[in-house]
Amino acid sequence: MAATMELRCWGGDWGLPSVHTESLIVLAYAKFSGATITVTPIDWTWKTLTGTVPELVYQGSTITEPAQILNFLRKQRFNADYELSARQGADTMAYIALLEEKLRPALLHTFWVDAENYANLTRPWFASRSPFPLNFLVPGRHANTALSRILLTKGESPLHTITEVEGKIYSEAKECLNLLSHRLGMAYYFFGNTPCSLDAFVFGFVAPLHKASLPSSPLQSHLRQLDNLQRFCDHILNAHFSSHPGSPQPVQETVDVNLQKLTQLVNKESNLIEKMDDNLRSSPQHKPLRADPRPSPGNDKSSTPA
Amino acid sequence: MCKCMSVCCLFVFSEDQILLSDCASSLAVQAYLRMCNLPVHVSCRSNAEYMSPSGKVPFVHVGNQVVSELGPIVQFTKAKGHSLSDGLDDVQRAEMKAYMELVNNMLLTAELYIQWCDDTTATEISRPRYSSPYSWPLNQILAYQKQWEVRRKMNAIGWAGKSLEQVYEDVSQCCQALSQRLGTQPYFFNKQPTELDALVFGHLFTILTTRLTSDELGEKIKSYSNLLAFCRRIEQSYFEDSQAGSSSRGYSKGPSLF
Repeated sequence: MAATMELRCWGGDWGLPSVHTESLIVLAYAKFSGATITVTPIDWTWKTLTGTVPELVYQGSTITEPAQILNFLRKQRFNADYELSARQGADTMAYIALLEEKLRPALLHTFWVDAENYANLTRPWFASRSPFPLNFLVPGRHANTALSRILLTKGESPLHTITEVEGKIYSEAKECLNLLSHRLGMAYYFFGNTPCSLDAFVFGFVAPLHKASLPSSPLQSHLRQLDNLQRFCDHILNAHFSSHPGSPQPVQETVDVNLQKLTQLVNKESNLIEKMDDNLRSSPQHKPLRADPRPSPGNDKSSTPA
Repeated sequence: MCKCMSVCCLFVFSEDQILLSDCASSLAVQAYLRMCNLPVHVSCRSNAEYMSPSGKVPFVHVGNQVVSELGPIVQFTKAKGHSLSDGLDDVQRAEMKAYMELVNNMLLTAELYIQWCDDTTATEISRPRYSSPYSWPLNQILAYQKQWEVRRKMNAIGWAGKSLEQVYEDVSQCCQALSQRLGTQPYFFNKQPTELDALVFGHLFTILTTRLTSDELGEKIKSYSNLLAFCRRIEQSYFEDSQAGSSSRGYSKGPSLF
């Protein structure tokens, strides 16, 4: 198939494949779309300071930023959004904008600006994953970036300090979580029975908040009241990131194992045919490659980060 | 139920001074207030930005309260008993908020980028207009300060590295999403306009009727016919009747789409 794609990202902890939101988004999407990527954590390398995270390296070219990486994967025919209608695609864009505007500032604040969380959790973690002497520089740099981003986007004037903005960003974030919870309802994914890019984005944003052991976080306590969002994260972790061969099946999927194997065979054949067609036509509108849905057989193909 | 609200006084920049992004925001608020059937009187001040509690135009002055920006204004009118989105259920409300953020995130940021980060536009249009009420050297200082502020913000959110073509592409995608969401309905949430309709109208109408260094932005929107029809519909329903009889010059929306 394709040459291997390498993803450089922050390593995992707290039960997550990565603690960094953007890296999580890309990792989740790769799982959903069946892309085989090699994960190279940048922990303990100099890339912690110099590299932009996450970064996808493929045949000499580098792509950064989750949105662009997802676009690239789609072009490589790893498209988890293939079955979405046009309206659902539009909704995806809107909800991602909602996450960026309302949830991100509060998450940045919780992890990087809140003194207790920063001192007890974030800084030690990032410092322990950076080589000497970067462990003195890397956390501080991220914290400064986070603070300036919050102030520039949410602070109304240069005279405002962070305390005045705090109340506003947390209430907006709680509202955003409520809205997501309403939209998700009782379903496992946001659109139907299969995960797509919106699920990847929501997972990337919410999972660190769900799993990290934050000493003080009103936002985390708020999340604890929203069962369906927690269930959403846990379900994705179990179904896509679990290294246990007997991972618990989601309730909706009752596909026979034999049928799965047969489907895989048929898929492989049609992939070969498609490839031949592709060489002739090379049209971007082709139905993209999609490795068989979730469970165990797919897990051993792609490497999971430690 | 309906508390008698004293007339809202909406403060915006003056005609010569106003820029694309502020114009869009002001028009959105105006449209919203008209949709709520609230009488609004528009005042133009060159220092509107400094009068505003949050530093952003437009803002309304009602009684002894001053509220700026569409979001807080919507909440304020809701507290007084006027709301357009009461009929929506939770999921619809979530969608509405999400789409409003999409417009803010994409359209507004793109407008700011084009105004201040694109050198041609900044030099020919934005800086002269922004600093027009002031004399030298204050006009230069204020214009460059504003440009520096906006560029810093673009840097923080990662738009600084984008090229103009990428920004146009983003606007196009945003319009495509809006167009798909709108479909063939008269308003985004079927029969009744909501604050989302006001916001979208404000931005799209302004982009369509403002002359910039290039028409590409307007062309992108024109390629979506349902969005054009949407703008015309709102203009006809909410702005046409006041055009004829209004004595106060107020804030004109400039050339119309007719």
